[in-house]
Amino acid sequence: MSPLKRRLMLLLWCLIAALAMPAPLALAGGGERSISILAGMVAESDSDDPKEEPESDPADEEGAPEKEVDPDGESDEDRDRYLAITGGQVHTVSGPILDEVTILTKDGVIEEIGRHVQIPDEAERIDAAGYRVYPGLVAVDSFGIVGRDPVEDTTDVYSLTATAALAGGITTTVSGTTAAKVKLGTVDELVVKEDLFENLRYTTSNPRGRRDLRQAFDRILEYLREVEAHERREARGLESEEPDDQWIRGRNERYLKLLQGELTALASADTAHEILQLCELAEDYGIQIVISGAREGWTVAPQMSRAGLKAIVTPRTRVDRDERLLRPNGSSIENAAILHEHGVPVAIVPRRSGISFGGLAGRDLMHLPMEAAFGVRGGLSNKAAIRSITIDAARILGIDHRVGSIEVGKDADFIITDGDLMHYMTHVRWTVVDGRIMYDKMEESLFDHIRPDGDRDAPPPDDHWPRRLGDEW
Amino acid sequence: MRTLTVFCVAVSMLLIVSAMSPANAAGDNGLVAFRVGKVITFDSDDRVINNAVVLVRDGRIEAIERARDFDIPDEAKVVEKPQAWLTPGLVELHNHTAGSLGDLNDLVYLTNPGLRTLETVVPETENVKRARAGGVTTALLIPGSGTNLTGFGTIVKFDGPGVDDMVVRSPGSLKIAQAGNPERYWYGVGRTMMNYNTRRTMEQALEYHQRWQAWEDGELDERPLFDPIYDDFRGLYEREYIASVHTQMYQVVMTTIDMLAEHLDVHTVIAHGTFDAWKVAPLVLEAGMDQVQAVVGPRQFHLDNTQRKIHGVAARWWQGGVTELGINTDAPVVPQEELTYQAAMACWYGWTPYEALRGITKVPAEAMLMGNQIGTIEVGKDADFSIWTGDPIDPRSANLMTVINGRIVYDADDERLF
Repeated sequence: MSPLKRRLMLLLWCLIAALAMPAPLALAGGGERSISILAGMVAESDSDDPKEEPESDPADEEGAPEKEVDPDGESDEDRDRYLAITGGQVHTVSGPILDEVTILTKDGVIEEIGRHVQIPDEAERIDAAGYRVYPGLVAVDSFGIVGRDPVEDTTDVYSLTATAALAGGITTTVSGTTAAKVKLGTVDELVVKEDLFENLRYTTSNPRGRRDLRQAFDRILEYLREVEAHERREARGLESEEPDDQWIRGRNERYLKLLQGELTALASADTAHEILQLCELAEDYGIQIVISGAREGWTVAPQMSRAGLKAIVTPRTRVDRDERLLRPNGSSIENAAILHEHGVPVAIVPRRSGISFGGLAGRDLMHLPMEAAFGVRGGLSNKAAIRSITIDAARILGIDHRVGSIEVGKDADFIITDGDLMHYMTHVRWTVVDGRIMYDKMEESLFDHIRPDGDRDAPPPDDHWPRRLGDEW
Repeated sequence: MRTLTVFCVAVSMLLIVSAMSPANAAGDNGLVAFRVGKVITFDSDDRVINNAVVLVRDGRIEAIERARDFDIPDEAKVVEKPQAWLTPGLVELHNHTAGSLGDLNDLVYLTNPGLRTLETVVPETENVKRARAGGVTTALLIPGSGTNLTGFGTIVKFDGPGVDDMVVRSPGSLKIAQAGNPERYWYGVGRTMMNYNTRRTMEQALEYHQRWQAWEDGELDERPLFDPIYDDFRGLYEREYIASVHTQMYQVVMTTIDMLAEHLDVHTVIAHGTFDAWKVAPLVLEAGMDQVQAVVGPRQFHLDNTQRKIHGVAARWWQGGVTELGINTDAPVVPQEELTYQAAMACWYGWTPYEALRGITKVPAEAMLMGNQIGTIEVGKDADFSIWTGDPIDPRSANLMTVINGRIVYDADDERLF
């Protein structure tokens, strides 16, 4: 659809909406903008009610209300929504690092990147001078940040966990087999892609399951050959009976998709033996397999590469070597680096895929870049480490056309940091999801006292004492 | 009789093992020169020396000089790491992994005076090897917090191959668990009972100590009866070693300072100090940092629900004026090799790198009263250090080599472990 057509359609919809709905309801749709201000501060949501704003502001009543407040209920959503990020050092990830360029986003999509970008007057702006801009991080495994099955119906859009995830720079997560954005205050367009994977249980402890799977694959391949033969005979005008496809339902239908390359398999495998069996499976049937775990991947990296496997790894996985075995085994801090070296696409996740507020720091999704930093410790380049939590992670999920790098036409998901993303003292200053500021460190209370605006000597916040002790103690 | 035989066998085996320990990595003369890119000394001048040589003789540091001012003796073996950073060996004040983890707690009584972790030290385990790989050279092996008083800790080096090569000092500390775990000991135990019982045990031990002291001073005619249950406490009250206290949350830490540091006058180290315990920083300052020290962890942040703020535990202690501040892992709660990462996290949550590195070397060494021997790179001290590819706190930096008593106990070129 051309932009003009899209605009016309939008206008039409807006008219229909204005006519069909009672005014307050139509206005309520315009609550979208206030939501970015909400950013998790539920308590203040009342005062942000968009209905009250025009009434309470005398300037609007006397000024030029037609443009700002449309009495017919034209909401913010109907207008083009612009966000401009200016002056930052932009790490596109898929391309070069650009100094002091402007990123203009329109309606949640990156519209333009460059030095001489015309910024519309109504655009929201972030002055990122002195900051770095990276694509939002992609967590290929998560728990408890968004809801589950179906994501849009079960997500708590005001949860502390989601706020912390955004503070940790995560804009896209996977819940179950659904890739979803992390957003506060809205469930609009939460889902990026459903049905990411078919979970395969192809483990050494389950020989019967392995046999059954191969038999099912063989049967479907035979069916596909029959279909092909049938089509060929029909094309030549020969008599032919259509192969029975009644049995291709449920699991078999999923397997058919796997064999036709429409679906990717996800299998958990850690030992070299298990990984090699999956390599064989991938090569025998030409299916796409993502291995999660891949602890001993470093011992079989060439085979994984040849079989086209992808891997989701945790650099800090720690399993001692089994001295009874002659071959190299156990975990290695170099795992991610060795896999990457052999051309195996690698996504990095921490051992704990949720976010915990228990106090043990740096072991979960709150500090995803630090897990990638342990990959660097093992020999991964800084660049590859960043890729493993952005574009390569997106590629493994099959959503790299939308997220994972800063390119025109992609989703406007950014994190704007006060330093090198891979450094242990770097904080996220702003997180932008779909062109909306979802986290602003200085507006959200969680971390605003830690080096506020980079000030290392800022005084600490006052201690909160239980009331019964009074001010004295 | 049987126990005696077992004991004899154990001792002779120990002797055999220790007789097998290899010579220093150095040449026959025991002289090794480490040529590195940067030395962080943590000496009294806080010197950081670029392009330096650290010369080690017979397990001790003999010289620290700038490479261009120093001629390495010809007879010295030279280890060349010209890009790397050399830091004092890391010191862990809160460790459970230098011994058998199965013997973490002997949950016999609510207070168990007389027990020692010395009995549980196990050399050359995977945990010991990983600790070396993380650059950790010395640790205080303490019992768990299942009861209020679980026994005496042991200061060990991650050297080998025998137990004797590891043990530096035993007892190395008295482990007290003030609250927040020992409640589970038996039905109905709460803070009233726990504090009463701990105080009672401590006071009985103090009385024992005072009786012996009086006899030694000639004030008592009759030699007191030797009691192995209380004898180890004598060193504690003589301030030869510390009380390392499992204590957290401000109310509990207040009790700790009041009971141990003020009332019983022992050198007290707060070995958790987590949740909102930083609020008692004024009390620590009042008692004096030579009397109470904080080596905090494994939790590095605290979510204050009433403020909706996440506080860095170390940062808040620091901001409260407690400048003798360390970090711990409570290994295996956080793996021992991640001690530097604990420091990194303390920095993310508001602390500063130089102080954080000091908080895993010099401060814990001093806190366990070993400051004259380890914790800094100074002439005459034990040659304990680790050599890193860069800033040791940065998780991207790897430890290339760990040296204990001048001996290379970990070399990433041989086998990379972390």
